[in-house]
Amino acid sequence: MKAQVVSTYRGGMWSWVFQRITAVLLIVCLAIHLFFTHILSIGELDYENVANRLAHGTLTAVDIILLAAGIYHALNGLRMVLMDYWLTSRTRARAVTYALWAVGIAFLVYGIWGLWPWIGY
Amino acid sequence: MSAKPRETANVGAGLWKATGMWAWLLFRISGLVLVFYLGAHIIVISTGQFGADGGTFNSVMEFLEHPVALILDLALVVAVLYHALNGVRIILMDFGVGIHRHKIMFWSAMAVVVICFAFFAWVLLDHLIATDWGGGG
Repeated sequence: MKAQVVSTYRGGMWSWVFQRITAVLLIVCLAIHLFFTHILSIGELDYENVANRLAHGTLTAVDIILLAAGIYHALNGLRMVLMDYWLTSRTRARAVTYALWAVGIAFLVYGIWGLWPWIGY
Repeated sequence: MSAKPRETANVGAGLWKATGMWAWLLFRISGLVLVFYLGAHIIVISTGQFGADGGTFNSVMEFLEHPVALILDLALVVAVLYHALNGVRIILMDFGVGIHRHKIMFWSAMAVVVICFAFFAWVLLDHLIATDWGGGG
């Protein structure tokens, strides 16, 4: 019983807090994203359509929040899964944490670069 | 804090049994699916950078509007809704809401999943009937 209790917090208090904060951001922003992109524009998704949507600064902001919060939430979640199964030593856990930060920042930069043609459209 | 209240706060009220275990397992599986999807999504959307006037992006979007891809999107909607609503349940329980009624919490969350899914499914079906399946497209 005790081991399960401890494992809930094994990732550290801040990662627990940020996992909750990003979760709430994701729910709100994903609802907006899905509604505008996949409900209103169903069957019309193309380059022009995305450009028209991202011409609104608020929707661009929503997409960038989604990118940052999504990448953090995804990789921190992945880190939790890894820690449960094979990251037993502290040193290894720390190495993976840094590696995931590097992967996350790379994806964030790549994702913003990917949106760039529409942001400046 | 003694061992007892910590147990209650985290795995108490039989959370590590039956419903709670399946909720956890599906949460983890849907989470891993979504990590994979997010990576794929970023790579797919970044095709907007390639080809003149978004030519590459448009051909990728055309491919992804095939009915089979759209139905796979619906499976993704299930993963997103399940992960989101079960996540809401977990956050509520972090604040102490419904720890002793976690099964009711779980099935209420699932009811919201079904309602939201029905909405997405209806929008998609309406679209498919209007285009691919109705001979209108």
